[in-house]
Amino acid sequence: MKIMRKAALVLAAVPAIVMITPVGSASAHGYVSSPASRSAQCARGDVSVDLCGQAKYEPQSAEGPKGLKNCSGANGAFAPLDNDGLPWKVTNTGQTLSLTWTFTARHVTRDYEYFIGGTRVGYVSGNNAQPNNPTTHTINLGGFSGRQKLYAIWNIGDTVNAFYSCIDLNITGGGGTTPPPTSSTTTPPPVTTTTTTSPQQPPAGGTWAANTSYAVGSTVTYGGSTYRCRQAHTSLTGWEPPNVAALWEKI
Amino acid sequence: MKRLVIAVAVLALAGCGGEAVVPEGQGAHGHGASTAAPPVPAASARFNDADVTFVQMMVDHLQLGISLSQVGLAKATKQEAKDLAAAIDSTQREELTMLKSWLKLWGKPETGGADLHAAHGGQPLLDDKVINETKDKSGAEFDLVFLNLMAGHQGAGVAMALTEKKDGMNPETVAYAERVTTTRQGQVEQMLKVMGGS
Repeated sequence: MKIMRKAALVLAAVPAIVMITPVGSASAHGYVSSPASRSAQCARGDVSVDLCGQAKYEPQSAEGPKGLKNCSGANGAFAPLDNDGLPWKVTNTGQTLSLTWTFTARHVTRDYEYFIGGTRVGYVSGNNAQPNNPTTHTINLGGFSGRQKLYAIWNIGDTVNAFYSCIDLNITGGGGTTPPPTSSTTTPPPVTTTTTTSPQQPPAGGTWAANTSYAVGSTVTYGGSTYRCRQAHTSLTGWEPPNVAALWEKI
Repeated sequence: MKRLVIAVAVLALAGCGGEAVVPEGQGAHGHGASTAAPPVPAASARFNDADVTFVQMMVDHLQLGISLSQVGLAKATKQEAKDLAAAIDSTQREELTMLKSWLKLWGKPETGGADLHAAHGGQPLLDDKVINETKDKSGAEFDLVFLNLMAGHQGAGVAMALTEKKDGMNPETVAYAERVTTTRQGQVEQMLKVMGGS
């Protein structure tokens, strides 16, 4: 035990360096998950990590001072979110739009604001309380039509900051109707379907792969060994069979 | 004990060279499968405060995720949500066992105390009250609340892991943080797809 104490003394010298790194560099936050904001599109792989950068891993962290009209919070790591030229999926909507936020921490909330250009089309008070589960808002798009970028802003109650999400919209009609566009040459992409996102079905006894739906009892090879699936799941990078005995049994 | 002495001596010689041990900028790619650790690897004795803080926070984080998973397993109506809840539950139990064994090896308590969350952003998404309130929902509304909370919770886990990859020095803990980054990001991706935002 004496040795352990010595170890502790030596180790105690390390934190002095480590603590220089600011803590609270904030893991806390939120983004609009439905319709899929630019951040959400990065997180779910609609737009590649090469284009998205950090937003893939921290879609919730486009944080900046209140009062901005941008998608990144003027936060350099999230600058790709401001790039209108990236292949963002566009959501077709009528004049009424429902939005759902996903939070990673429940900050006390001043309010939520929604802007198209300089026009505030939506406002919801946060009552300086923590957000509800779920937090879904229905807003009216104020007569705007065509291709628009909606700024969704979560203003925090107890800091100077806000969190920013951008949603690309194709707004049709008035009163929630959605007549088809009259011009075919400028037709925007249709509403996203989920058909392209279904996990692949595995070939019997094949090599393990990520993003594949495995049923109980199915077998795969990985790293020269064979494994049997113990629990139905869709595979992920990091859930390679040797890493997760709960999911795969070596046979 | 002799091994520990050697490890301590190495650490003493290395001084505060945490960054020499863990290369900077190891991204999310190219560090996964081939160096994957066995299910319950022992953590070596070289660690710093960032490692301890991360592991202690993850113990709490994993337990909250397991609690929410169990509600999801019982109440989710979409099969993908149920399967994911079950997989999160069982994989995080394995991780919990591993992390507790590391803290024991290091002679550290399993929780870092109330100050830990306050010092790292505070206002965590999940607590017992929030998890219990989900039990009052049902059907599609439950699925949305469950997936939304779990996506947020696992997203917070990614952020914790990114901090560990930057500040930690214990090789096993940093490798675990890499795995947390990829698996949680993958889970968030799945959950966003199941939530079906267009």
